[in-house]
Amino acid sequence: MKNLLILTLVMLLTACGTVRKVESGANLVGERMSIKVDGNWNHLDFPGIKPAQIWTMEGVTIDELLVYSGIRDGQIMHPDSPAGEKRKDFVFRKTMQTEEIVSMLEGVLSRDGSSFKLRKLEPFPFGGRKGFRFEYERVRKIDNVQMRGVGFGAIDKDELFALVYQAPRLTFFPRHQSRIETIAKAVSIK
Amino acid sequence: MKRRQLLAAGCACCAGVIAGRAWGQTAPDYLAPQRFQRPDLSTDEGGLWAMMDREEKALRRSPLVLRDARLTTYVQDLACRLSAGHCPDIRIFLVRTPQFNASMAPNGMLQIWTGLLLRMENEAQLAAVIGHEIGHYLQRHSVERLRDIKSRAAAGQVLALFGLAGAIGQLAVLAGSFAYSRDHEHEADRIGAYLMHRAGYPVAESAAVWSNLLDEARAREGEEPSQSSPLFATHPVPPERRDNLAQLAKLLPGGADGKDRYVEHTAHLLDEWLQDEIKRGQYAESLVLLSRRIDAGSAPDLMRYYRGEVHRLRGQAGDHDLAWNDYQAAAAGAAPPPPAFRGIGLVARQRGQKDEARHAFARYLDLAPDAPDAALIQSYITELSS
Amino acid sequence: MKRHLCSFVRIFRAILLPALALLASTPAYPDARNLAPGFSSLPKSAKVLIMPPDVELFSISGGGVMEPKADWTAAAHTHLHAALTGKAAELALQTQQLAEQDADELAEISALHAAVARSIAFHHMGIGSFALPTKNGMLDWSMGDAVKPVLDKSAADYALFIWMRDSYASSERKAAMIALALLGVGVGGGMQIGYASLVDLRTGQVVWFNRLARADGDLREAAPAAETVKALLDQFPNSK
Repeated sequence: MKNLLILTLVMLLTACGTVRKVESGANLVGERMSIKVDGNWNHLDFPGIKPAQIWTMEGVTIDELLVYSGIRDGQIMHPDSPAGEKRKDFVFRKTMQTEEIVSMLEGVLSRDGSSFKLRKLEPFPFGGRKGFRFEYERVRKIDNVQMRGVGFGAIDKDELFALVYQAPRLTFFPRHQSRIETIAKAVSIK
Repeated sequence: MKRRQLLAAGCACCAGVIAGRAWGQTAPDYLAPQRFQRPDLSTDEGGLWAMMDREEKALRRSPLVLRDARLTTYVQDLACRLSAGHCPDIRIFLVRTPQFNASMAPNGMLQIWTGLLLRMENEAQLAAVIGHEIGHYLQRHSVERLRDIKSRAAAGQVLALFGLAGAIGQLAVLAGSFAYSRDHEHEADRIGAYLMHRAGYPVAESAAVWSNLLDEARAREGEEPSQSSPLFATHPVPPERRDNLAQLAKLLPGGADGKDRYVEHTAHLLDEWLQDEIKRGQYAESLVLLSRRIDAGSAPDLMRYYRGEVHRLRGQAGDHDLAWNDYQAAAAGAAPPPPAFRGIGLVARQRGQKDEARHAFARYLDLAPDAPDAALIQSYITELSS
Repeated sequence: MKRHLCSFVRIFRAILLPALALLASTPAYPDARNLAPGFSSLPKSAKVLIMPPDVELFSISGGGVMEPKADWTAAAHTHLHAALTGKAAELALQTQQLAEQDADELAEISALHAAVARSIAFHHMGIGSFALPTKNGMLDWSMGDAVKPVLDKSAADYALFIWMRDSYASSERKAAMIALALLGVGVGGGMQIGYASLVDLRTGQVVWFNRLARADGDLREAAPAAETVKALLDQFPNSK
């Protein structure tokens, strides 16, 4: 029954969505962030994704790369997310420290009822700035798929730039992890 | 109302009987029905039952179900003592989800979420919740609900012909997510009170459960508690329920709350449940919960640490000072959680108190060298030393 | 324009979905979409493990409430099993069923497959164009060595997964439909949604996939159930 609802919801949401290819090479996301990819990525546009973008290689129910570019002070993360009951807004503040940004992302990733377990959090250069990298495990509530994820981010000129990638821990995450690490290392921020 | 009269008239094989209908005037005296037979596949109840069997299969395989055998057995035993002879038909599933919820399906599957377990202060309160759910089960409220929704939907469709919004009503309704009617909730409360009293628990604790929840819900500013709080997944809680149960408690006195046993079986899981709780980002509600637990003296160091976290993450005017106080108190306690020192370090760092920050971070890494954020905290130490 | 479209979709969801299903009532895909590149047939005597089908049948009441029907679902399982057995015999394949308790152990892999199947159903064979350009219109999904425990447990060459949700209008519902139609309101009478997926257990590759989304079909009786299975197994590879 749940699956019927999922399928229904997905079908309806995406009656108002689009998919297009992310071209090989450098791609400007927002005004300041450039991501270099090798031509395996698709950009999905749905209601409820803003202010992020979602890219995927294998499909929306398998892997997703959340791209946050130039999130400003006071901006609400995913305000139109079709998540049913009223939810706490997660708001980015320019004064946030690393651990607070990661807490905010933890909240965003678990607000559909999924579990979240942080496995690692370390300083890491991102886009040429002093940033951070984190790893996590997540059980997706809606279908119980066990996932792994990795994220990168930095604040520059009071704006947040971040990438979060997650995929099932069986096969898919191990298959694509090194590609993600490469992409993250090559991000540039103007 | 009609159905209850029908049942009282003598369908003893398929329903329980509750004497004394007026609230708080006479003590409930409940005769539970016999154990249920699996209903015929062709009936609506049979359909619901079979669908719940499939839901249960999925649940059994879910990684979100707790695998703590000792806790599960403990809760299973408790349910058995409350079950009025239906023990063999009841199966417990403890599910890791930070909302307050428990639900029982017509096939005997009883789900309890960790958000609820976190909020129970003793065994009696959990008994109250389980007793209430068993009440729904014994009186077959789910099936009544399904039938009721069907007939309402049909009525609604006639009306909808003259206005297109909501014309076709919902495409699909999941049995488990129906909200019970007020009558059903009353009935389940009365039966639950009776069952817990018979099993030796103070009924006053059931009023305490709802009272605590209302306090939390009220903390969300400017909203009607019983409607808005995400806590109340399937159990809307108007204040009358707390009051009615308090009345019943006077009629059914006595009992022991089993606090020590409950604490003993759940203490090692509190940390994980509290982490899930604060990830909800519902800071006002979390503060009410944590403050109540601190005042009651239950796991105070852990609760103080998490209250510190809530203040720090909320970060409104004055929150950092409050966080500081809580972290310091937790760190000074008998069983300081290592991240309390991290908390001190983070606040000190934000205030520019470099020495204090460095010292606190070092203490944290000493106590928890394998913490997930060890590398980040080490980098803070390095930065503060230069 | 797009914003208005999206609001329209939100308000008239319940009408649009059956309409969408009707639009897709004859999913006539050329071979390429159902078969992985380079894959066209199974070897004769290939061993196929049939995973426990995930099937649920509903009745739609007069008011539009979907009610689970256990007897229909049980019948559907029986007919599905018979039709699959028939198909296997026709292709000279050896089939085996996975026992329930083994299904418990393989839960994570089944959950993974379900997620993959939903992406294939949605992106590769979806209603509307949500195809992933990077897949180049090919059935190109593999679970790699995640399927090894299934191979170890069964010694089969392939695994077949089936998922179906099917709803039927009760007579009150049909009466309501007619009444509403007279007033100019279109109402869905019932839908059949599902997929079937064949996975190579040595590589984890999804070698064949088909999706149904239509307003026809009936799994409750033997003869129409055979037709449903035929539609579901459309373009199933031959054996050589």
